[in-house]
Amino acid sequence: MDAAVGDGDHTARPAGVMPRLAIWLVTPGLLLLALLMGGPVLLLALESLKPYVPGSVRPGEGITFAHYRELLQPAYLFYFWETFRIGLIVASLSILFGAPLAFAAVRSPSALVRKFLLALLVGLLVMSLIARLYAIEMAWGSNGPLAPLGALLGIAPRHPRYAEVQVGIGLLHFTLPVVALMLVGAFRALSPRLEEAAASLGATRSDAMISVVLPLAAPGIVSAFLVALAMCISNFVAPLVLGRGVVVFTTSLMYTRFADIGNYPSGAAIGITMLILAFLVVYGLSALARRLIPR
Amino acid sequence: MIRLLDIAARLLVRFAVLAAVLFLLVPLLVACLLSFDDRSFLGAFPPREFSLRWYRAFASNPTYMDGLMVSLQLGVVAAAIATILGTMGALALMDPRLAGRDALEAVFLSPKFVPTVVIGFSLLVFTARLGIFDPFTRLVMGHVVITLPFTLRAVLASLIGVKRSQIEAAISLGASEARALWDVAVPAARSGIVAGAAMAFVLSFDEVAVSLFLSDAFTQTLPIALVAEMRANLNLTIAAVSTIFLAATLLLLVLLDRTIGIERLAGDVGARG
Repeated sequence: MDAAVGDGDHTARPAGVMPRLAIWLVTPGLLLLALLMGGPVLLLALESLKPYVPGSVRPGEGITFAHYRELLQPAYLFYFWETFRIGLIVASLSILFGAPLAFAAVRSPSALVRKFLLALLVGLLVMSLIARLYAIEMAWGSNGPLAPLGALLGIAPRHPRYAEVQVGIGLLHFTLPVVALMLVGAFRALSPRLEEAAASLGATRSDAMISVVLPLAAPGIVSAFLVALAMCISNFVAPLVLGRGVVVFTTSLMYTRFADIGNYPSGAAIGITMLILAFLVVYGLSALARRLIPR
Repeated sequence: MIRLLDIAARLLVRFAVLAAVLFLLVPLLVACLLSFDDRSFLGAFPPREFSLRWYRAFASNPTYMDGLMVSLQLGVVAAAIATILGTMGALALMDPRLAGRDALEAVFLSPKFVPTVVIGFSLLVFTARLGIFDPFTRLVMGHVVITLPFTLRAVLASLIGVKRSQIEAAISLGASEARALWDVAVPAARSGIVAGAAMAFVLSFDEVAVSLFLSDAFTQTLPIALVAEMRANLNLTIAAVSTIFLAATLLLLVLLDRTIGIERLAGDVGARG
């Protein structure tokens, strides 16, 4: 901004104008993202349209949609379904347990309880996921002390399908602190006066919870659910470490396409499909939810 | 009757809180206890004799030690770049009247929702095309992309209390806009900058998917070495590493509580989406 223009218009700057300083501040970050994420993803999209030449790392010439058509085969659709099924279960559980956790962290009468819960949630957020997944394998695995509890879910810990339970537990350990902290934000925004008002009108605490607090927190709960779902379906480490090769997520599928078979174009097509699905979950569904839930 | 239902509902909620806390904590305690197991094999829980053998095994393993060095350097470099760029972006986006503010914020936060395997794979193809084969450079590129949204978000959250009018007051007193931001907004954003930098370092230090695509046989990060070992055979060296991570997390938590306060931190890092 020139000095002549700059002096007067700071306070009266009309909306819709980008000051020069702001341009300087956002440009480095935007350039970096364009160069290191936008460009590469575009390149990946182009790669996914190239024919695969068996035995060669270099893709062939021309354009083909074969790799996307391939994904519509039942065998591949099954992997997508498996990924979403586990993701939906885990996201639901993380709301079911995350909401009480968050509510206690915000409204518990004991300051010590509030601080302990918040410290636990923030601590887990910064704690290594690999260490947590290993700990889950040790605790819930067939030799672990929690295995009998896992067996209650209907699959014996020595059965190969138990890997599914373990991946679910691993993902829940990953999403629960995130969901709970998002809900802490949602509950903090609600005034405790609302519940007091409901109580003074004769509502019990659970009545007030169901008819006042939950509806007001609904937008936050929906977006926490969607973030949890997106975290699950794009997770790579949990199925890799806990899946024992039995639980194959689309992320694992993409990695094996690239690492074991060397089929870059097909791996690229899976990657682009996953990207679109993840964005649909986060942005598409939340826009839909906003329309359906009046604020 | 209604009273009874109310009590039952509240008990149910308490039970859910307790179950969630145990679910989150018990596995960590199990791994912690196992890391001191004196047995040379993975035996039944709980261990009877205790020793530090698995910690010695970790410290004398060159693959882990090399990985640790790479991960530490990578974490510091990536977190530094992401913190600087994220803070700059947040300082611009704090102005609610900024043209296209919401769209810009969405762009800055978008890497969070791109699956990390896609970021890793696409950067692999991209850097190979450009002829960049140095694994450390490739790793830094990937790690800055995945950590940038977190630093920006944390700084932006800490700036919520800063009113545009405070900055405009500084400007009306003769400060340039840049000077006003530096003197008014940056000090106010300190908690977010610290929280964002810590978050970025931790994320980078723990990253697997991006690193798996971008590292090579000679430059491996610690998580890659750990995951390879976990898939090959489960031994208790990793329990020792996990316990060290747990201790480091507790230390970080105490430091962050002293500098920022847990209550505030939960708001800064918890604000997502």
